[in-house]
Amino acid sequence: MAVFTLSVNGQSHKIEAAPEMPLLWALRERIGLTGTKFGCGQGQCGACTVLLGGTAVRSCMTRLSDLRGRSITTIEGLDPHGAHPLQKAWLEADVSQCGYCQTGQIMTAAALLAGNPKPSDADIDQAMGRNVCRCGTYLRIREAIHLAAGKGVTS
Amino acid sequence: MTGRRDFLKVTGALGAGLVLGLRLDGKALPGETAKVEFKPNAFLALRPDGRVRITVPKVEMGQGVRTALPLVVAEELDLDWSKIEVVNAMPGPDFKAMGTGGSTSVSTTWMTLRKAGAAAREMLKAAAAAQWNTSVSQCRTEKGFVLSPGGKKLSYGDLAEAAAKQPIPANPPLKKSSDFRLLGKRTPRFDGTDIVTGKAIFGLDVRRPGQRFAAVLRCPVPGGKPKAWDGAKAQAVRGVKAVVEVPTGLAVIAESTWAAFKGREALATTTTWDEGAAKDFSSAGLETKMRAALTGPADEARKVGDAEKILAAAARLLEAEYSFPYQAHATVEPMNTTVLLSKDGAELWTGSQSANRAQDRAAAALGLKPEQVQLHVPLIGGGFGRRLGTDFSTEAAQVAKAAGGGPIQVVWDREDDFRHDLFHPATLHRMRAGLDATGGISAWIHRIAGPSILRSWMGGQKSATQAASEANGALDLPYAIPAITVDFAEVEAPTPLGWWRGIEIVPNVFARECFLDEVAHASGIDPLQLRLKLLGDQGVVKFGRDEADIQRLKKVLQVAAEKAGWGRKLSAGRGLGLACHAYDGRSYAAQVAEVSMEKGQLRIHKITCAVDCGLVVNPLGLEAQVEGGIAFGLSALFSQITWEKGRTVQTGYHDFPVLRLADMPAIETHIVVGSESPSGMGEPPVPLAIPAVLNAVFAATGKRIRKVPLEGARV
Repeated sequence: MAVFTLSVNGQSHKIEAAPEMPLLWALRERIGLTGTKFGCGQGQCGACTVLLGGTAVRSCMTRLSDLRGRSITTIEGLDPHGAHPLQKAWLEADVSQCGYCQTGQIMTAAALLAGNPKPSDADIDQAMGRNVCRCGTYLRIREAIHLAAGKGVTS
Repeated sequence: MTGRRDFLKVTGALGAGLVLGLRLDGKALPGETAKVEFKPNAFLALRPDGRVRITVPKVEMGQGVRTALPLVVAEELDLDWSKIEVVNAMPGPDFKAMGTGGSTSVSTTWMTLRKAGAAAREMLKAAAAAQWNTSVSQCRTEKGFVLSPGGKKLSYGDLAEAAAKQPIPANPPLKKSSDFRLLGKRTPRFDGTDIVTGKAIFGLDVRRPGQRFAAVLRCPVPGGKPKAWDGAKAQAVRGVKAVVEVPTGLAVIAESTWAAFKGREALATTTTWDEGAAKDFSSAGLETKMRAALTGPADEARKVGDAEKILAAAARLLEAEYSFPYQAHATVEPMNTTVLLSKDGAELWTGSQSANRAQDRAAAALGLKPEQVQLHVPLIGGGFGRRLGTDFSTEAAQVAKAAGGGPIQVVWDREDDFRHDLFHPATLHRMRAGLDATGGISAWIHRIAGPSILRSWMGGQKSATQAASEANGALDLPYAIPAITVDFAEVEAPTPLGWWRGIEIVPNVFARECFLDEVAHASGIDPLQLRLKLLGDQGVVKFGRDEADIQRLKKVLQVAAEKAGWGRKLSAGRGLGLACHAYDGRSYAAQVAEVSMEKGQLRIHKITCAVDCGLVVNPLGLEAQVEGGIAFGLSALFSQITWEKGRTVQTGYHDFPVLRLADMPAIETHIVVGSESPSGMGEPPVPLAIPAVLNAVFAATGKRIRKVPLEGARV
């Protein structure tokens, strides 16, 4: 057991937990942020993606001991009212079907646009290639990222 | 007991009480002593503040019912779409029919919901007319208001109390489709904002005060039971509260999901299993039995003429074997259910596609009456038929009971999901066709061998409709051929089976449409021309319980072919392939795939799809279903579940590949409206993707692929 101070969406949270506890469960069950989803726990689907110091990471594979004070941004920290360019683009392209994977998709896209404001189709396909959408919303995900591109996305 | 379609049909009929027995139970809202909520029926509540709550009688799993069904009500009632709240129904006397599957949500509720909206609209008009001292026929409605000829207007909210006192019209007039203002328009998903902000609540997001979490250690072989175990190691994991035995295995109860998983890992090291009857089951063993069954006895599903006799005398015989593997649903949200027991009942939160059945079975497991179980259905993170099964909700009730009450959330992980899915089973297909001297098809024989999904759904019993169910997609061969035999030879397998998006139609249409392509090439006829000729001028044709309008199928085939530029010159290594089907005689679809092979790698460039599911409630949602259905179908071209020693070899997305963004072809959807009444589009696009692509591969390369999954050639 150890005490970790997590900086999540600009707020500080003190958590006593085992160092190997994945960030995913700290977010969902300690801090109460359920927008970050459990999909596989194997680092294979991307449903749990969050930003760690601006980089997209799998929170199911990120141990609390790996955080080293870096700030965490979850979907709730993007914009609670859906005003972030990516959230708006997601609505404009009517991307979601069941919606379960979409918060992870959006966080992955946020990291992409922060580093590459005008990605090509190939850039998008590569960056989003590790996120599963079993409903098959992929074409609209690509469309939404193009819609949001160049609209000042920073993490 | 009934099959999936009967189950959905029975549960699809909404119960006569709802519209005919409209209830008037106006209730004062807190702080609104003089004003009441107008609740003309179970679907609607109009509030004095003008907001309208619509209760959706089917469950949302991404197919868009929380948008489409409220649109139907809102159309008849002339609601302001921006003032709508949508809530999910709960199984009970008002909602006896929540079973959601088989692409039936719109078609089975459409008329009931229209009448519900229309009745409320007429009552609001009557209330306004009384106030204005004019006749009802002089009043009209628009976006939440009743309008008089002289320009007066009253909001629905202001009229709610008076409307509640109006007599209920038995047969309210319905709008003409030419007057529709919402239906047929592109309406974005109702839950869009909640989803993109992370506020949407799925089953796994349910939180109750004092909630605990549980993971169940199940035998990796379906049906196996724990022989010996010791809970001490699990109990030693921080956060673990208890280990309890349940019918499906051993449940680790903990303060967090993480602790439950860690405790379960520790418990597994101490547990030995009686692996049960399935312990030696293997895919290889099953395949040997299925191949033997291709030539043994079988149950007939369709017989026209004496196909065997004609085949024996045919000028030319074509024969081929097609193979389709076990498949998993692999919903991104793993199975889960939250349960709270109280002294006189229970409450469940579960993403069930069979809410009424889940309620009944949880009640039985808890020794309660169904009405003592309140069952909430949150949003569902992917269904695809997996959640028609009630195994996971019943298990959770058993865990809560063994753990002493709850609230407790039972969480499956990805490996649980793959090892204990209700699988789509493997099949082999023996296809034979006889050609006469002029190259025409004189006989068609389609033998299907494999396990029966219906038997598994019926608890191990063989149903009278088993062969018809397993031959769905094969028996309703739409082509006019003088002699046809379609039959099913059951090969029993000890694995749980279930309904999977597209059901048996996926393998059956794959074999059928690819083999027809073989026949076309063998007879030197263009595959499109052969299909058009065989569809011919047939009208409505009856297949068992279904009837299909062959001209509607022909139309979508022609549209898809024309839009895809069928017959155009393509560069070397590129090809077009097509497939078409009339789904359950209700929804018609055709697809043309354009593919290329570059250095041995298959690339699917584009799929052009034409569909006719009658009147379209929401074209935006329909297109999403076409795109998603094609993605689901294409995904199955590359995935399989295999069995060794009674267990699945695959345990996650790493060895059960699902389609990713880079694999996705461009998709062009063309909508044909061939009827005034709507059917459905959740499943119809799924079965066409594989045959269209594999027929295109043949056109591109001359190589005929008869086995799924495609090995070694990634998109």
